[in-house]
Amino acid sequence: MNHRLDGADAPYWQGLETGRLQLPRCASCRRWLWPAGHRCSTCGSIGMVWEERPLRATVYSWTRTWHRFALTEALDLPYVSIVAEIEDCGIRLMGRMDDASPDDPAIGEAVVGRIDRTRVGDDAIPTIIWSRAA
Amino acid sequence: MTHPLYGTTAVAGVGLRQFKRGASPLPERSLLVEAILDACLEAGLNPAEVDGFVSYGDDKNEPVRLMGDLGTRRLAWSASVFGGGGGGIAGAFGLAASAIISGQAKAVIVFRALAEGASGRMSAAVMAHHLNDHLLAAGLVSPAQMCAIRAQRLFKHYGVPQSIVEDLVRASYHHARNNPDAVGFGQDFDIAALRTSRWIAEPFRLFDCSRENDGAGALLLVSAEHAQDLAKPPVYLLGCAQGTEAGWGDLLENDADDLYATGGFRPVARDLYRQTGLSPADIDCVQLYENFDAQGVMSLIDHGFCTYENAAEVIRFDNLIAQGGKLPVNTAGGNLAQGFIHGIGLPIEAVRQLRGESANPVSGVRTCLLAGGPGAPTVSSAIFANKVL
Ligand SMILES: [Zn+2]
Repeated sequence: MNHRLDGADAPYWQGLETGRLQLPRCASCRRWLWPAGHRCSTCGSIGMVWEERPLRATVYSWTRTWHRFALTEALDLPYVSIVAEIEDCGIRLMGRMDDASPDDPAIGEAVVGRIDRTRVGDDAIPTIIWSRAA
Repeated sequence: MTHPLYGTTAVAGVGLRQFKRGASPLPERSLLVEAILDACLEAGLNPAEVDGFVSYGDDKNEPVRLMGDLGTRRLAWSASVFGGGGGGIAGAFGLAASAIISGQAKAVIVFRALAEGASGRMSAAVMAHHLNDHLLAAGLVSPAQMCAIRAQRLFKHYGVPQSIVEDLVRASYHHARNNPDAVGFGQDFDIAALRTSRWIAEPFRLFDCSRENDGAGALLLVSAEHAQDLAKPPVYLLGCAQGTEAGWGDLLENDADDLYATGGFRPVARDLYRQTGLSPADIDCVQLYENFDAQGVMSLIDHGFCTYENAAEVIRFDNLIAQGGKLPVNTAGGNLAQGFIHGIGLPIEAVRQLRGESANPVSGVRTCLLAGGPGAPTVSSAIFANKVL
């Protein structure tokens, strides 16, 4: 997992490792920034602060994968991937959805997340797995 | 004032070699050499005089390695457009023209070569350019899935009827049917084959996706004056724009909300029309890069041919075919049905169409838009014409 500590998003991965969703915002103007970077594109300040967000989101978009693509060998087909818009900050994160229900996800639908892992080769990448909010 | 790119350079020759994926009889670099020799032969230009080369999409054939086979005397200029997908294809012509106009090179080959044995699967190579742990964790590992997730928003949020992609696919196969060089040559395409083909990533089924081929394509660009002296009628570059603007890019799906279900062409199309003084009404035919059919629809919308609201009125089979359509698209069959060598067949068809050599000639054609790979973080488009308007 060391390579995940090399980028500007290292605190995101460290957060998931400890069971928390941490996202960056500009230390100066407080704008949420994603992908994580070095400088705020709005106010030009350098410096991010990382804040914990609850694992609550809405479905922004989704796809259900049926084809066995390389690097997905650990996932049962079909599986649903979603782009989740995190509550109150507007950042969109890619994750997977528990697909217990045969219904298609709906854009705008509320979901709650838990943190699991996705096995890719020898690696196990921390992953947010989303479920329909009760 | 006329833009410096407007009509100052021209394509003087094209060459295309295409085979089934994994079935090339020649090594990748030899295919490329053959395509370049064909382009020079058409133009009547000694290949040793080619002094510039440009490609896109992470092509692995560094031009210096072609010098022996081509007998190159002086390699004066070589470049590549950044980006792993087909977004840079039209931008390569703008780069080539810049080199010619600024006197850095006289005869520039725009090329793309791809053989599975040498470069592996193109879709895998494109994705390797972009892959990161955010994507891997979500199981999103292919261009098909990344484009599918955008297409869902086009259909389900904006309400563009999904059936219109069928018209784009049908028009592509209709054109391929007449084109002896197309994978779909002579074949009747039954739309039921699309509707019942296996799911890849919803909303895409197999036939929503472009086919990969082994092959190589090359186009020779020279100054407009030089082109007058060569064998083929010049096909002029009228303009070219590339890139993106704030709100779109390599953003882990955080593109601006109003841009998310686009191909990323809005700033490129705006600049291209401004640069040339042309508008969508001036475009007689379109060679449209469709990695996936829904992205082709987005690209047509981005370029101003229709909107989310009236897409179904414009993207109709009858309107998209060369035989009487107002917006003929992919007149050789396109990436879907002609074949897919990372899109290089599209500018070649633009040139053939404008010379009157297309298998599906558009009556009275003067201009042709080349739209590069939609959905890429940076994209590009160009306009070609058989007369400087
Ligand atoms: Zn700021």
